[in-house]
Amino acid sequence: MKNRTYNILFHTHTVSGIVISVALYVIFFAGSFSFFRDEIVNWERNDIVETTDHMQFNVDAVLDTIAKTHYLYGRDIELKKYYREQQVAVSITASKDSLAPEEAKAPQFFYINTENFEEHSYLDVYSLGEFLYRLHFFAQIPYPVGYYLSGFVALFFLFAIITGVLVHWKKIIANFYVFRPLEKLKTMWTDAHTTLGMLGLPFQFVYAVTGAFFMIKLLLVAPNVLIMYDGDQAKFYEDLGYAHPSFEPAHKKLQSDVSVAAYMVETQEKWSDFEIFESHIFNFGDENMHVLLSGHLPYSDSFNGVGEVIYKANTGKIVSEKNPITEQTYVSAVKNVLYRIHYGDYGGLALKLLSLLLGFVTCFVIISGVMIWLVARDKKNIPEKKRRFNERVVQIYLAICLSMFPITALSFIAVKVLAPASQSFVYTFYLVGWLLLALLFIYKKDNAFTSKMSLLLGSIFGLLVPICNGVVTGNWLFMSIKNGDSSSYTVDLMWLLIAVFGFLVVYKIDKNPEKRKRN
Amino acid sequence: MPANKKYLSSNWQRFAKITAGIVGGYFVTISSHIALAYLVDHTAILITATFTEFILWVVLMIVAFLAKNGWRIWAIYLLITFLFSFLVYMGKLYNPILF
Repeated sequence: MKNRTYNILFHTHTVSGIVISVALYVIFFAGSFSFFRDEIVNWERNDIVETTDHMQFNVDAVLDTIAKTHYLYGRDIELKKYYREQQVAVSITASKDSLAPEEAKAPQFFYINTENFEEHSYLDVYSLGEFLYRLHFFAQIPYPVGYYLSGFVALFFLFAIITGVLVHWKKIIANFYVFRPLEKLKTMWTDAHTTLGMLGLPFQFVYAVTGAFFMIKLLLVAPNVLIMYDGDQAKFYEDLGYAHPSFEPAHKKLQSDVSVAAYMVETQEKWSDFEIFESHIFNFGDENMHVLLSGHLPYSDSFNGVGEVIYKANTGKIVSEKNPITEQTYVSAVKNVLYRIHYGDYGGLALKLLSLLLGFVTCFVIISGVMIWLVARDKKNIPEKKRRFNERVVQIYLAICLSMFPITALSFIAVKVLAPASQSFVYTFYLVGWLLLALLFIYKKDNAFTSKMSLLLGSIFGLLVPICNGVVTGNWLFMSIKNGDSSSYTVDLMWLLIAVFGFLVVYKIDKNPEKRKRN
Repeated sequence: MPANKKYLSSNWQRFAKITAGIVGGYFVTISSHIALAYLVDHTAILITATFTEFILWVVLMIVAFLAKNGWRIWAIYLLITFLFSFLVYMGKLYNPILF
């Protein structure tokens, strides 16, 4: 590579990396916990759920409950199990019937608890799991600013990945096993950055591309719709199979009884173990009522077995279907794979833990990149004022990033002790706590103190999470493992592992005080 | 070792390269994919675009930074965009997606 090319790539890698670093760290740190979003939610509420996407509850009973309090005739009702929780999401469209009561003329969205059939709003069922999940795409910043910010961070992360690989190109193989922690500080950071960056490369590349897709796909979709479809958005989404069909109401009441549960059983018998996570009912109670069931084959059987079936209610016959075993198109495969590889939900606990680990590895790659930036500029030929400014920038960066660890662990304890926690409590506790910790570290102006303190505090709080769960709910780790309460033991185990690892790092730092001083 | 400054551009050149990469690169990305969608099965291209567009866009940003002259790379990106736009225009005339 020519000198000029190398220097340009190097510079663009540095600048793009340093600009997005803090935001990217927050995304990866919160995102790593988001692999366990559902487990955290269930852990928090002590709900025991089956680990399946299938709506294994009595769907007919849920519909009966909704029908008691809502005017449903002629409306479309969608039950969708977005998450493996006890709650199922219900959305009801506005009634097309002019004689319908006022209440039914607006669309509605709420959750139904599938055990006791209580109705809840989104805010009622807010949780720390949801908070961390949404933090990883900055949803707390008003829409659309947060979404676009995280989307562009992902895009420039992709930029940093590609330029980084090009810069490192010649040394990829030669330096793969090189780790010189005992030499200069600079080489330690560089070796850590490049080695872990190479190891995490496929993981990071996938998350950069899919993350950008989730958040700023509108930038790509808008010109397609405007130019190719002359603004006909509905047709565009229909072509790509994102839209449901629509059925006109017959305006006559349906005489027979309909059991959605029976259709679900029939579908499951046809496609063995098909997991139905959505049931969409068109024109409820009307003669032209239809029931759509959509889902996928278990991931252990098929990575890409997405299917759908539509029944006409007054005949009980299938009017259309997409067979998950035989009818897999390229379009539906891409749509599915983009989500699967980002969510990492197809390989059980092992894959989730591995993804969590790689997420943390990426956090370390980001931090080590920032440290290289600092150390490389800490030279005699650089003016004192500039050097002090750089140092201050890194102190602030580290304070914001590293304080996330203790405050996250502490929040787990807080929501457990003060359960059930409201949305305002989670917001206040997490964000204010984070701010205070960061301010303390910024005030201390000592990177060694920041890193050691946040590791130590985070590990102590992390260790207390499973203990706290045991004391408050009696659900000790060994109990929940024995009872097969997977959400409970997954979260406890995750924190135990994180805490042990954190203590190990603190111990290693202490054993090597010489190097800390130079930091 | 920060990058050697003598290889980096400044002021208007830098401005031209950044805008060429982000804005010009976006134009090339979108126009090329839409033009391709008229030539082959459009749904396949549209869904492939969900990942290839981001990758191409980023590559075009890098290419813009490597260019010798920022204004020239702007001109090249615009020219390519016009070429693809012409193909899109022909596609809309002879092979429309909406009938």
